[in-house]
Amino acid sequence: MQISYKPGSSFLYSLNPLIKGGLCFVLIMFFSLNGLQLPAMAGSLAMLLLFAVMGRLPLADLLLSIKRIWLLLVIVGLVQGFRGDSFELVPALEGMIRILGVFIAAGCYLTVSPQSELMFFWETIFRPLRLFRLPARELALVMVIAVRFLPVMLSEIDRIRMAQIARGARLGKGGFFSSAAALMPLMIPTLAQAIIRGEELAEAMEARGYRVSGNRTRYHRFGIGFFDVPAGFVALTVAALTVWSRFL
Amino acid sequence: MIILDKVSFRYNEKSETSFKLKEVSFSCSKGSITGVIGGNGSGKSTVARLIAGMIEPQTGIVTVDGFAPFNHIGRCGFLAGIIFQTPDNQIVGTTVAEDLAFGLENLSVSYDEMQVRVRETAARFGLGDMLSTPVHYLSGGQKQLLCIASVMIMQPSWMIFDEPTSHLDPWARDNFWQTVKTFAREHDIGVMVVSQLAEDLHHFEQILAFNAGSLVFNGPIADLRASVEQLPWFRIPDAWKLEKILEARS
Amino acid sequence: MAEKIDGSFGCGRINLLVGRAGSGKSSLLLTIAGFHSEFSGQILYDGAVFQPAGNFSLTFQDPESLFFNTSVGDEVEYSLRMRELAENEITPRAQQWLQRWGLEPEKFYSRHPFELSGGEKRRVALAACTVAMPPVILLDEPLAGLDANGQKALAEMLNQLAREHIVIVVTHEPEVFLHPDSNILFLREGQGSWFSGDDFLRQAVCNRDFYPLPRWYCHALAPFATVSSLPQVNAEAVASFVAREKSHADKL
Repeated sequence: MQISYKPGSSFLYSLNPLIKGGLCFVLIMFFSLNGLQLPAMAGSLAMLLLFAVMGRLPLADLLLSIKRIWLLLVIVGLVQGFRGDSFELVPALEGMIRILGVFIAAGCYLTVSPQSELMFFWETIFRPLRLFRLPARELALVMVIAVRFLPVMLSEIDRIRMAQIARGARLGKGGFFSSAAALMPLMIPTLAQAIIRGEELAEAMEARGYRVSGNRTRYHRFGIGFFDVPAGFVALTVAALTVWSRFL
Repeated sequence: MIILDKVSFRYNEKSETSFKLKEVSFSCSKGSITGVIGGNGSGKSTVARLIAGMIEPQTGIVTVDGFAPFNHIGRCGFLAGIIFQTPDNQIVGTTVAEDLAFGLENLSVSYDEMQVRVRETAARFGLGDMLSTPVHYLSGGQKQLLCIASVMIMQPSWMIFDEPTSHLDPWARDNFWQTVKTFAREHDIGVMVVSQLAEDLHHFEQILAFNAGSLVFNGPIADLRASVEQLPWFRIPDAWKLEKILEARS
Repeated sequence: MAEKIDGSFGCGRINLLVGRAGSGKSSLLLTIAGFHSEFSGQILYDGAVFQPAGNFSLTFQDPESLFFNTSVGDEVEYSLRMRELAENEITPRAQQWLQRWGLEPEKFYSRHPFELSGGEKRRVALAACTVAMPPVILLDEPLAGLDANGQKALAEMLNQLAREHIVIVVTHEPEVFLHPDSNILFLREGQGSWFSGDDFLRQAVCNRDFYPLPRWYCHALAPFATVSSLPQVNAEAVASFVAREKSHADKL
């Protein structure tokens, strides 16, 4: 149950990537920092889910993926719930709703944003760094390429693992506490292949004319659509609500 | 037309001072498939990279259609595109459309022209309805097609293939040679294939053979066949061996 | 992906697994090795259910990518060490095995694997994966990327191994391995068909769509497609065969 981009169309999909990213950020801040009581928080979470349904997101997948964080939810619930010697349900639930809210907000964002939109958002975020001579667009490109190679790297690690197990390596047992030495047969080949891959890719990119200092045009263009202005207002309202409930 | 004139090249390696290429001169014209053959370390891959403009010769001149390809990007069209062995390590974009557009972005092509060219090139290579497909959903053959399309979209004058068939299945190999022959004959694109496989030999019309950094043969394939005994380093393909044995017996 | 594969891979001769890319050849190897569990049916070894653990070796394309030691010797010995062989037996056995793969231990044992040529690296990798001499040796495209000489030499080596082990090779160059008595499983359109080396050659010679073998071979043998015992795919064998058939025809 992976959270990743699922093609679809609705008002949520049609938002400008900066608005999407901004909304996601504001919602994460809201659920982390708000000073509301339990009924209001539960209501906010319900509204978030309502919007997700209205935006025709595959909610079933999203809710099923909550399974992955059940342990975290339980821990947070217990930590928040035990005040002194007694267990209080209300703070426990508040803590769990916060976590759920952050998780669902991030999940919705990733579900409606294809790679190019994520890249555009990150590129815009990095742009101020250009003052410090950091190449924003190139950094964003590096992130995109890393993500694009993830499935390739995963299947390669798998193949290396299987072949080394056939040689007698003890991988896949011992889990988290396997010693570094035991993992060498997996890590070294993976690293070596990653370096080789990086070199070959860099060559291929240069061969297709890529130059860091060059004037590159863009294939993707993102405009402002009908829903972007209301969505912007919603983001501002949520931000204001966060500040008001927390500090005032 | 590709011209190399007394070109020498050496990688900056601390261990050896040997030259990767020593005073190599030759010319190739469009219309026929040129094969570059030789063993490992013969310099054939270096020649491919020089022509593609990825490296610059220490001495001598490399020109493609009259221009030096090194750092030539964009000025007067894209000179020579090169496709390497592993398709996966050449695909940059996350979707088919993004990878096709990558080269055009580098050439500073305008937004409108890019949209048109991406659509047309995708259609031409049978990827027309896969524009938003993530790249890791493509099969091996489709990936290689995407690599070729992504270079062809830049409208190069020459296409260089560096060991293109070694990881393909036999049907894909047949398809590849079909595609390549179409380029050479119908589309006015110069084709050069670097290969060390004996069975690729019969596809070539012109042969450039390298050994230890020197050009040891330059001419049509028929001449190579006739003078094969004078080339001790050359591994004679089974097809030629068979003909020779049968001739000798009859 | 594929259905109703019914048959056997044995030792004594090499087993080849061929088919288009994506036809399930690698998945079948993984299933035999026990890494792929979504299958129905049984994999039997000597009549009992096959227990892969410790009984097989597996290599994928470019097995050189598995190197993680600083010397060829360490690389080859690794498998023996992990199987906890007696310490004084490990090095002699590893050296012997390396020798069998055509690399003299004196010259290669202490060298760094990355210093070797492509063909040498391939041999070291294959030696390192098979040194424990398991009964089942699974290889996925072991010859990919080698030049013709390298391919022929390694194919010879694998054919020799096949005499005492069950060697199953996924390959796109069956012509390099083929002997008339080789066992071939051809996966196509979700079905598996079994052929002896001879049948396979015959079908391929008559019909290029069946399997594209080198064109020179098909042209030379097209007139003899009905003769049993087609020759191996190299110039000398074909020449002798053609000469023999011609003189045969002349006599009649």
